[in-house]
Amino acid sequence: MADSGFRLVRTEKLLYEFEPCQPGQYRYCVEFVGHKSAAEAGEYARFLEDCGCRVFFKNINLNWNMGKVEARPWADPGGRLATNATTYNRELLIVEKEDDGKPFELHTTREDRAQYYRACRRPALFLFVMMGAMGVLLRSWAAGVFALAALAALAWYQLALARLNRRSGLEE
Amino acid sequence: MRDNAKGGALTEVTFYILLALYTPRHGYAVMQFIEEKTAGRLSLGAGTLYGALNTLQEKGWIQPLDGGGRKKEFAVTALGREAAERELARLRELAVIAADIMGGAEHEGKALPVFLGPDGGPGQVAEQNGGQRLPSGAY
Repeated sequence: MADSGFRLVRTEKLLYEFEPCQPGQYRYCVEFVGHKSAAEAGEYARFLEDCGCRVFFKNINLNWNMGKVEARPWADPGGRLATNATTYNRELLIVEKEDDGKPFELHTTREDRAQYYRACRRPALFLFVMMGAMGVLLRSWAAGVFALAALAALAWYQLALARLNRRSGLEE
Repeated sequence: MRDNAKGGALTEVTFYILLALYTPRHGYAVMQFIEEKTAGRLSLGAGTLYGALNTLQEKGWIQPLDGGGRKKEFAVTALGREAAERELARLRELAVIAADIMGGAEHEGKALPVFLGPDGGPGQVAEQNGGQRLPSGAY
């Protein structure tokens, strides 16, 4: 969308609103922050804004509700009980930066990338184990499909981490 | 960000952040400082910098300042200065040993590191060193 000359101005649960701009004028990164506590995610978003970025929180689920409480055993301490008032439906950050001709990346060192991938791998592993167990115990095909999707994500992050580790061994 | 606690060696990112914070700066200014000093060779993502600043705060090497402004400023602490001074001494020792082994006389006067700029041309330090260039893998 940014390459086609559209700038994100607003997000809702199922809505992205854009306005026209110069093609390629803005660059975007999406980051998973569902493992952070509400305070940490808010502080991180403020830091990105201080660095000249514009930040939108976005939901990862399509779940309309009020008073929702979700357990996240895979999250950092402080983020393990997500509610509508904290981090539920605020699991993603869409980060916008005006294009300055340089690649726009939030994580630029191998160690930091690895740390981020590990944080993303934890919910995939949890979902795979939980859905896999449900699929087997309840003989549920739906749970099996979710388990396979989680397995695909888990494999992707595992391969990305293995690639980073291999490169760490080869390059100083 | 994992520095070598046993050997005392800092990562390049840690060392540059400590150097940047000898003058109080906010996050974006730290990014600009590092990019400017390395002529674009080292460009930190905001996420990486955020993690690095948090780690250094936990170590007590930097501290946030109560400036009252919207942007949070950080400054290096006495502990952080000690760590940076140890790193400088370590690098000096390494340079002396390297010059000794690689031929001190031949390398005398060329002790300044030479970095390539983002366009492959000489970077800021290289320009100070007479525009001398080394292959990109040299450092």
